[in-house]
Amino acid sequence: MSDTATDRESSAAESDDGWTVVVGVKQVPDSDEVGIDPDTGRLDRANAPAVLNAPDRDALEAALSIRDAVGGTVTAVTMGPPTATDVLEEAVAMGCDDAALVTDRAFAGSDTWPTSYALAEAVDHLGADVAVCGEETTDSSTGQVPPGIAAHNGWAQLTYVEDVDPLPEEGRLAARRDVEGGHERIAADLPVVVAVAYGEFEPRPAGLHRKLYAETDFEPLELTADDLGIDADDVGMDASPTQVGGMETVDPVDREKETVETPAELLDALSDEGVIAR
Amino acid sequence: MTDDADADAKGRREPMRDPSYDGAFDAIVVGAGLAGSAAAVTMADEGLDVLVIERGRYPGAKNVFGGVLYTPTLRELVDVTSAPVERYVAEKRFSMLSDDDETAVSLRPGEWHDPPHNDSYTVLRGEFDRWFAEQAVDAGAVLLTETTVTGLVREDDGRIAGVETDRPDGTITADYVVLAEGGNSLVSEGADLRKPERAENVAVGVKEVLEFPERDEVIRDRFRLSNDAGASYHYFGEGAVGDAVGGGFIYTNEDTVSVGLAYRISDAAGSQPKPEQTLNAFKSHPSVAPLLRGARTVEYGAKTIPEGGSESIPKLVHDGAVVVGDAAGLVLNNGVHLEGTNMAVESGHLGGEAIAEAAERGRTDEAAFKSYPERLEASFVVQNLERYGWLMERVEADRDLIFEELPHALADAGAEYFRMDREPKEKHAEEARERLFETVGGLRGAAKLAYRYREVLR
Ligand SMILES: Cc1cc2nc3c(=O)[nH]c(=O)nc-3n(C[C@H](O)[C@H](O)[C@H](O)COP(=O)(O)OP(=O)(O)OC[C@H]3O[C@@H](n4cnc5c(N)ncnc54)[C@H](O)[C@@H]3O)c2cc1C
Repeated sequence: MSDTATDRESSAAESDDGWTVVVGVKQVPDSDEVGIDPDTGRLDRANAPAVLNAPDRDALEAALSIRDAVGGTVTAVTMGPPTATDVLEEAVAMGCDDAALVTDRAFAGSDTWPTSYALAEAVDHLGADVAVCGEETTDSSTGQVPPGIAAHNGWAQLTYVEDVDPLPEEGRLAARRDVEGGHERIAADLPVVVAVAYGEFEPRPAGLHRKLYAETDFEPLELTADDLGIDADDVGMDASPTQVGGMETVDPVDREKETVETPAELLDALSDEGVIAR
Repeated sequence: MTDDADADAKGRREPMRDPSYDGAFDAIVVGAGLAGSAAAVTMADEGLDVLVIERGRYPGAKNVFGGVLYTPTLRELVDVTSAPVERYVAEKRFSMLSDDDETAVSLRPGEWHDPPHNDSYTVLRGEFDRWFAEQAVDAGAVLLTETTVTGLVREDDGRIAGVETDRPDGTITADYVVLAEGGNSLVSEGADLRKPERAENVAVGVKEVLEFPERDEVIRDRFRLSNDAGASYHYFGEGAVGDAVGGGFIYTNEDTVSVGLAYRISDAAGSQPKPEQTLNAFKSHPSVAPLLRGARTVEYGAKTIPEGGSESIPKLVHDGAVVVGDAAGLVLNNGVHLEGTNMAVESGHLGGEAIAEAAERGRTDEAAFKSYPERLEASFVVQNLERYGWLMERVEADRDLIFEELPHALADAGAEYFRMDREPKEKHAEEARERLFETVGGLRGAAKLAYRYREVLR
């Protein structure tokens, strides 16, 4: 069937206008189906189906909305094994113009440090003006990768972004970000890394023909360590500083559930327990 | 982007900017149920490019179904050795329930233990439909999930030439459309291909899947099963569905049981309590509850079952489209039989073959598909529906007798016949007979009743 799909828009229509937006996405175990093995205390991810990290849908929507406003292209990028292509297909179905799979044996076992390094090289390689990411992944929840990309490339970063406002004339991207007790609006010069707040963008549904295309005919660009000029010694398990000290399942502490009527009584109770000194 | 050159160097196809699949597929199948996947496998095997559109997250995700899959046509179509079936049916048990009695007949023919096990297997549709759709994909079909068909594309001359979906840019054209959307056939009705079924011709099906968290062997022990053998228990009478016309069932899966009811929707809408309540009453009947003791519900679903019989089969072929499976009302539901799976697969297969033949000749007019209604008419599908058409009417007319009086009378007669006291047995037999005759209207009444239902065994 592949040869019978037709392109309604010739590639000649491509223009140099607009921004190059790259959006980082990740395949994670479906968190609805991940359990904790009570004996080992480890997450049992093996049986959970792999899905697109939910916060990345917000990132995709934010990226596509930037393209809607200023033109240009959106390319999704993921680092992972060839099976991670599924999440790229989902990104292309939603509307990304292209997608790249950063894949190499050399990357195996990478923690957030080499991962953000490899992704930083990838977004640079793809010529990104804006790199958009979800705020964190549901399988590791570090939130370190987006700032890591910015740090490796020496780019500006906007984190916990709730709304984006591209300012093409100024070559800047303004954003509203969530801060404790309210929000702030700040603008950054391009290139910039944006980490969007989870739940703030309503992801658009995939169009019928795009979804079909993404799932049947689309082929992602593959980028190896070599393509990105990355030395195999700088990535992978050995280049990962994270040490996992151990895992413990913590039993909940029984609460006494006492109620006190006034602040004074609370202070008395706390000092009786030796929590505060008076 | 500067990397297009790289991409070419790696031999990758350039991404399309605005892809279109209009006309890219020969046929679009609406619904990846049994009928849809049977049609898709058939057409893909014939070399057609087939797109199957399913609204669920995966095929079977939304399918409610009691649980016995009948496989005579299926195993001709695909290799079933790896099919996810639960147990083969080794026992069929029919029982009449009054509010507190049960009178049952059980059949356990030895040959059902041997392959192909009378072509009857319990299945969970969430797994089975997914597997069957994968067979279609392996044969070359494309499956698109999480997409609901909302309407049909018509040419100026009325020919059906594609479908509309709930997605943006959601219209796609193809020469042929197979409507396999099941009993709740909103697309076919919306396109005037069939009229909404009258309430007296629609049954409501409710089903729960129950598991037994305490012990693995519960199902085998309670239902007297060994290895992969399974049981299908069928129940009638007021203890099963109250005042309604219909029945209840329990089917054994590998580690779970499917428990459910199927009865007239007109009864469901009238005085009858809600389907969940009726199901709960059935589950707590004194002779049902012990089978389910300690069980926990893991799944609940409700669905409509068309049961208008051969008279309510709509027109099966249209210019550019065929209607198959439950969407065409092809279910046999008469109390003794609840069969739709075999009819869905048979009709999907015949519909798919008719399209493949028409495509061969480059035709899309309805006359080009006529082998489908002809072969269906000659097959067990329409023959069975016709044969049992009268039964539902008869049962409706006799409903008080069959569903309420007879279950009581049989139980009382049984109790009388086997009564232990100091009277001679002859007296018990006489009283038992009297109790039965009083209900059916004497010997003549019994003879008449037998005559009225003689065709069941014709
Ligand atoms: C409670 C109950 C118990 C039953 N027990 C038995 C039994 O024991 N044995 C037996 O043989 N039969 C039984 N039947 C009947 C049997 O389930 C059906 O006859 C059979 O499933 C029909 O298959 P089908 O493919 O025509 O429709 P379905 O199985 O209903 O499949 C239709 C498919 O189309 C999809 N769909 C619907 N509309 C759209 C749309 N607009 N766009 C995209 N996709 C759509 C649905 O999600 C579904 O996957 C039972 C039915 C019920 C309700």
